[in-house]
Amino acid sequence: MNADKRGSKRIGLSVCGLVAVVLYGQAASPEKQRQIASFEKVWTTIRDKHWQKKPGGLDWLAIHAEFYPRIEAAKSDEEALAVMREMLGRLKQTHFGIFPAAVYNDVEGEGGGDGSTGIETRVLEGKAVVTDLDPGSAAEKAGVKRGWVVESVNGKPLAPVIEKLKSDPEIHELALERAVRSRLMGLTGNAIKVVFLDGAKAQVTRDLMLGQERGQTARFGNLPPMRVFFESKKFGNTGYVRFNMFLDLVRVMNGFGSAVENCMHCDGFIIDLRGNPGGIGGMAMGMAGWLVDKPDERLGTMYMRDATLNFVITPRAEVFTGPVAVLMDGSSASTSEILAGGLKDLGRARVFGTKSAAAALPSIFERLPNGDGFQYATANYISEGGKALEGLGVTPDVEVKLTREGLLAGHDAVLDAALEWIRKKK
Amino acid sequence: MTRRTIVAAVLGLASFAFGQDEPLPKAEAILDRYVEVTGGKAAYEKRKNEVATGTFEFAAQGLKGALTRYSAEPAEEYLVTDIEGVGKIEQGMHNGVAWDKNPMIGPRIKTGAEKMQAVRESTFNSSLHWRDLYAKVETAGTETIDGDLCYKVVLTPKEGNPETTYYSKKSGLAVKTMMVAVNQMGEVPSEVFASDFKSFSGIMEPTKLIYKAAGQEFTLTIMDVKTNQPIPADRFEPPAEIKALMNKAADKK
Repeated sequence: MNADKRGSKRIGLSVCGLVAVVLYGQAASPEKQRQIASFEKVWTTIRDKHWQKKPGGLDWLAIHAEFYPRIEAAKSDEEALAVMREMLGRLKQTHFGIFPAAVYNDVEGEGGGDGSTGIETRVLEGKAVVTDLDPGSAAEKAGVKRGWVVESVNGKPLAPVIEKLKSDPEIHELALERAVRSRLMGLTGNAIKVVFLDGAKAQVTRDLMLGQERGQTARFGNLPPMRVFFESKKFGNTGYVRFNMFLDLVRVMNGFGSAVENCMHCDGFIIDLRGNPGGIGGMAMGMAGWLVDKPDERLGTMYMRDATLNFVITPRAEVFTGPVAVLMDGSSASTSEILAGGLKDLGRARVFGTKSAAAALPSIFERLPNGDGFQYATANYISEGGKALEGLGVTPDVEVKLTREGLLAGHDAVLDAALEWIRKKK
Repeated sequence: MTRRTIVAAVLGLASFAFGQDEPLPKAEAILDRYVEVTGGKAAYEKRKNEVATGTFEFAAQGLKGALTRYSAEPAEEYLVTDIEGVGKIEQGMHNGVAWDKNPMIGPRIKTGAEKMQAVRESTFNSSLHWRDLYAKVETAGTETIDGDLCYKVVLTPKEGNPETTYYSKKSGLAVKTMMVAVNQMGEVPSEVFASDFKSFSGIMEPTKLIYKAAGQEFTLTIMDVKTNQPIPADRFEPPAEIKALMNKAADKK
């Protein structure tokens, strides 16, 4: 009898289990499971990593209760995406976004590998225009010129990609530039076929062997090895430095320090941060220490969940006190914005170029279980002038845009404007 | 007496003991006990200087390095940490001047609360000299840290934020410290977990220190400690860049 009871109970449990499995199977198709898992990933990440314990001042548990049923009811990936975007929108904060898998793939490109043609581009008036060429690179040797338009890579035209990305309001210039750049990269030693539009508007095809990127390989902890270059020169009696990343800490900081030390009696000093996506935030403080003589000045303040960090400038024993110009564009991000924004707010530098990327925060991109890209920030940064750099960026004091015509004529309008300002300040 | 009676009696005594509020020892006694259990006053007084070597690891970021710390009476210190990808980070205390030099920020002289914190940290045999370093110490209760029942002692320095240290009731060793660390970027609530105590020249020292601050965690592992070494006289001299800053400050006055 007892054995029978136990048997019935076991069967009962099995049936219940089976029903539950069937119900679960009905409710959660693979597509639905991915949507729910993606929603949970987004919600949990904000709960655990947002710089405010109460993200955006919201009751985040209540947000879950409100949006979870809507995700369950979503009839398509597009509807689920809209629900998740609406949830993130409640934060009313920038750099919390979800990019559909297709857009994410467009930004990432298909290139892979770290081989480079040595071409630097910017999207000007909807076209990928060559703005610079690495010295000694395959492109320079092949006679590619500044101002040429990159029309296609390996037979794939760039215009549709640019058009598609530009139409998405969530995609900024930095991502656009990255999308073009990724298409001009591949495995070192391979060749790619690039079709350009030259200065005479004629199509020109070049087979370009991919080589190592300019600079030296730098390693920093878990980050993948990256090529970092630093250049320093003088235009007349004006010092000029340019580096592609705030990495390779010792070499770049020593290079910056030497450049300033060798320019103590210069008419001015130019820091070219165009295309610089940032890196180690603290380097901005160290660089500012060569240019700001007043103790305890700050570039800004970073607010994290457990701490508030002041980006305090420590003046060096000898400081350059002449005019300082910073060159920026839409691909200048993160530490570039912290340095430029802070120096501008302190009245220590004049910024030339176009508005920066407005991506100053330590924000992270992750793939969601459904393949979408998820971006979130883990801190808030307020520049010394009281404005958040995130979403707003650094607005130049003097807006100067590069043009294809100017580049073809051999001019760098942004640099020219800074040099002219320094000349007048003399 | 049956076995059951014995068990009941023991249980009864246990609950009685548990029910009583055991008076907390005075903080002064806890701090003095720490000196005793780690080697005793005489052993500390024999120690005039120390050279410690070890490693630094910031696992989440994949950063590792080697560290060497020279310290001597009364409050002389030179600490150098060489981290791959970051470079050589130096800090020191000499004749009351607390300084720091790293490739990222550059050289600087510590002032205010940060300087006072450096003074406490560089005071040689600081465990022995707690009366000179703290204006007030008090036992604030007990708490279990990693399964170890500890006395919670709040130490209020003469200048700066109070620190809370947890001393194991059983061993008398300091296993955790909570403090608000001060640096040029601001105040950062921090926790330090000390473990793997080993004896060096008769004094027990933690050889594993886990620091948790601002959502990050890094570990210091002490490999060796040598005492009463022939440390060169200029070892604690600040580097030229710090002296240049000192001269600049003097010129401004």
